[in-house]
Amino acid sequence: MKTAATSLAEQIRHIKEAKKFDIRSGALPTWCPGCGYFGIHQGLNACIQELGLAHHEVVTVSGIGCAGRYPFFTSNYGLHTVHGRTLPVAQGVKLANPDLTVYAVGGDGDGLAIGGGHFPHAARRNVNINYLMFDNSIYGLTKGQPSPSSPVGMKSKASPFGTLDKPLNATLMALTYGASFVARLFAGDPKGITEALIEGTQHEGFAFFHIYSTCLTFDKAYKTWAHLKQWVHPIPEDHDPADLRRAFDLVLGDDFSTGIIYRRE
Amino acid sequence: MPKVDITVEVCGMAGDGTIAAGGLVNEAMSLGGFSVLGFDSYPAEIRGFGRCVTRSRIGSNEIGALADETHILISLDDLQSRSRVPFLARDSAVLFDSKPDTLLEEEQSLAAVVEPGTALFGIPFTYLATAATGTSRGRNLAALGGFAALFGVQPEWFRRVITRKFQSKGEKVLEVNLKSFDAGFHYALEKFADRLRPSFAAANVVAGPEKVMLSGNQAIGQAALDAGLKLYFGYPITPATPIMEFLAKYLPAKGGRVVQMEDEIASVGAVLGAFYAGARAMTATSGPGFALMTELITHGVMAEIPAVILNAQRGGPSTGLPTKTEQSDLHAAVFGGPGDSSRIVIAPSNVAECYSFTVQSFQLAEKYQTPVIVLTDFYLDNRVENVVMPVASEKEKTDGNLYPDESLQGSYHRYLDTESGVSPRSLPGMEGFAYVATGLEHTERAQPDYTPEIHTKMTGKRHRKLQYALEDLPVPVEYSDGGQLDVGIIGWGSTFGSIQEAVNMARERGWKVAALKITSIFPYHEKEIRSFMTKCREILITELNYEGQLANLIGHLHRKEVVRLNQVTGVPFSPSAIFSKIEALLQAGVS
Repeated sequence: MKTAATSLAEQIRHIKEAKKFDIRSGALPTWCPGCGYFGIHQGLNACIQELGLAHHEVVTVSGIGCAGRYPFFTSNYGLHTVHGRTLPVAQGVKLANPDLTVYAVGGDGDGLAIGGGHFPHAARRNVNINYLMFDNSIYGLTKGQPSPSSPVGMKSKASPFGTLDKPLNATLMALTYGASFVARLFAGDPKGITEALIEGTQHEGFAFFHIYSTCLTFDKAYKTWAHLKQWVHPIPEDHDPADLRRAFDLVLGDDFSTGIIYRRE
Repeated sequence: MPKVDITVEVCGMAGDGTIAAGGLVNEAMSLGGFSVLGFDSYPAEIRGFGRCVTRSRIGSNEIGALADETHILISLDDLQSRSRVPFLARDSAVLFDSKPDTLLEEEQSLAAVVEPGTALFGIPFTYLATAATGTSRGRNLAALGGFAALFGVQPEWFRRVITRKFQSKGEKVLEVNLKSFDAGFHYALEKFADRLRPSFAAANVVAGPEKVMLSGNQAIGQAALDAGLKLYFGYPITPATPIMEFLAKYLPAKGGRVVQMEDEIASVGAVLGAFYAGARAMTATSGPGFALMTELITHGVMAEIPAVILNAQRGGPSTGLPTKTEQSDLHAAVFGGPGDSSRIVIAPSNVAECYSFTVQSFQLAEKYQTPVIVLTDFYLDNRVENVVMPVASEKEKTDGNLYPDESLQGSYHRYLDTESGVSPRSLPGMEGFAYVATGLEHTERAQPDYTPEIHTKMTGKRHRKLQYALEDLPVPVEYSDGGQLDVGIIGWGSTFGSIQEAVNMARERGWKVAALKITSIFPYHEKEIRSFMTKCREILITELNYEGQLANLIGHLHRKEVVRLNQVTGVPFSPSAIFSKIEALLQAGVS
């Protein structure tokens, strides 16, 4: 847990202690320089250090896509599965050994398209896992096709005349599916990610983290750093995450407020 | 002592208590010491319309399959039972309700359509039950009373199994059933005093060790419990659902959990996750669900994660024939999915093997770090046999995992390329042994790598494991007297019972015929199969599919083209169909 570091000596000791739990592995991430996913990595790393979770007691389960590569960049146990199946595999791990802390990570294509059928059931089953959706609204690893969260009209090689399908709102879906912890976050704010992850990891039940990110290689028009920084803002101070109606109101009225939107004990 | 081999059928409309009556026949005869093999068929539609038939083959010797003909037909509904008349043997007996609620036109009654020479026993089931108990609900039991009286079955056997079945439902229900049975029994004993056929009494069978009636599915469920299953993940599908229902009832008391998942992909995904983290888990499905699982099964192959997957085959392709039997998923089980991804596939052929193979599958999966597929079929899953309650030995239940040595902490090679291909596997929670299990091609240290050297080496490693696994896999079983043979039949799964019966028929005529049962479909025991083939002039491979899937797999081991006998009728092979093929082969050989 968070410790109040008062003196410099205490601060140094705290940093040294936290280093022990640094999950960054020697493997160089395959993400493009400047990718938002580095911010998520930083955010999760700080959370695990803060909570003092030992490497061997954490399992990162992923699917396929740029986000799917994440386990290789950590020194935790990892399970890099097939496309879209992150959630069922992660639940299997947690049910087999409840002492483990399980992070399921995947992109918007992995979790909303091919794996979209698992999302409601993981939420309603409420197994105590943490699901981080890295949402950059694009298929990056296959070089820039529109994803289920891409805006209408998005042009790409696969949609030269613009897309027609409406985007899915993962935060709204999680609330609807009955997830017991829902946070919306921004890859450009690792500190915010860490704070929400610390709370969500300690939450008993399915915790969902919808993390807006950018794909600076293939998206030059929509969810760019410049746009996201302009759009994203914290949820109002007086928001009560225990109130599901207010959570719905917040999400229906505003696509870009970030913070802990809902939690049910 | 005369040998008894009698097939009894109960036929009625859904709602007549047909399946319950058939079940009691099985239980009572088993209690009396007979071998029993039973199979029910009922409409796929859940609504209460349609014909229900139970068939029970009752013998003084071991039984491998259902017989072609029926000797005793107990009709609870004449209109439905008319369809069973063509299956009656010569000199068969038919029991029917002589005073049913709704009278039939004369030409609609069963008596009007049976062959001359069939013994007809009209017993007023409905009337007797109503007179004795005030309700006609026990009319199926009155019919069983008649059956017991006519054919020399000790009424005490029935009374005991009726009590066992109904005592939990209250005094009143039990009384209705017992009294109805007695009414039928006494009526038939008096009425047909001069026409009794006490065949079962004459067999003088002595009851051996206590046996239980078990279906293939129950045996599988029990085996999973006994093997220390922790987690079952599944999705409803015929004919595998009863396994999930069985475990849902009994697994929680053993500290385990059944989770009904959103689909079959999720089911096998969770099984892989659980085994990755060190728990024994399984899923059971049928063809369509199995098809959905194939990608993740190959993930288990690639990432070397154990899994136990049961495929209860039904007729295919697509939704196919959900309530019929077939053996047409062999190719899918062995090869289904992307890449060079063969895995362990074993196929039990009777209820006892359903138990032992399921127990074994967990250890095999752990030891060889790959999915193990247990291939059964509708006929095997749903038929009941009376068996001595199987018990798994401690050795069979032992953890099959090979863990890394402590000294390797920090320098651990998860996918170490050993001689057998099996590398020590760590579990999350073990300090200093963290690794990423991945479906990407990878190095010994579990890092993604697509170079020619690595893919060649690691593909070899994964396949080498399977050859080493052969020593632990169930070996082929030869059903033979030895010596040179004219025809050797090779079969697998539930079909083997029919093959055995056909071989018996051939041997009675002095023909040189034998059979070989393949229990490990993949990898298979090449040496043993070849040595059997060498003894045979002709090899006949008999299976319930169109493509000859086992023949495609092992036929090349024979020095000449193997002969195939395939059937896709949705029903099991009749022994006489196989016998006819043997006869044809022998005649061809002579001419």
